Amino acid sequence: MQNHIAEFRKAAGLSQQELADAINVSRKTISTVETSRFTPSVIIALKIALHFNTSVESLFILDEHD
Amino acid sequence: MKQQDIKTEEKFMAQNAWFSIFMGVTLLIISGYPILNHTSVPLLFLGSAAFLGSFFMFVIRGGFTWKLSYRLTYKDEYLNTIDTIAYKHVVLALLFSMGTIYLCSDSLALQVSHSMMATFYLAVMSLVYGISILWQSRD
Repeated sequence: MQNHIAEFRKAAGLSQQELADAINVSRKTISTVETSRFTPSVIIALKIALHFNTSVESLFILDEHD
Repeated sequence: MKQQDIKTEEKFMAQNAWFSIFMGVTLLIISGYPILNHTSVPLLFLGSAAFLGSFFMFVIRGGFTWKLSYRLTYKDEYLNTIDTIAYKHVVLALLFSMGTIYLCSDSLALQVSHSMMATFYLAVMSLVYGISILWQSRD
């Protein structure tokens, strides 16, 4: 699953730690989600979407093999 | 859960991984030395020195880790996931090492005691846990 979290985060001028602090997760969670090594739970996906005031669908994109 | 708690968990996990590696190396020396040299005389000194060294390194690096109350799982989702995967790696490594020992146990039986083998298994488990955590938490 691909995602656009890094782009949204950079556009908002946030570091990984600042985004992590904002949604109450560890920095490693943000780092590994951005690099698609970790698929977050619905709760974290919704928190990120809410933080950027956008939808989950605009943040995450399903691959063909998902 | 407060953000400070998550940062404490992150810190604790990193220290725990390093401690597991130090402990694994210590136990590996304790269990490997008699196999290589067919003796156990300096083991007490060697083992104690290595254990105390790794323990104090953990305490120094840890910096008040005793403030973290005991929990069976991590609250942070990613930390909890890699912790669970690390335990799976530990079980696989234990099975693999036990299988290897089973296949060549006859040639080891005369030099190595049961307690040394138990120490060797603990060393494998500690090492694999620490390495797995470090490898999974890379950026």
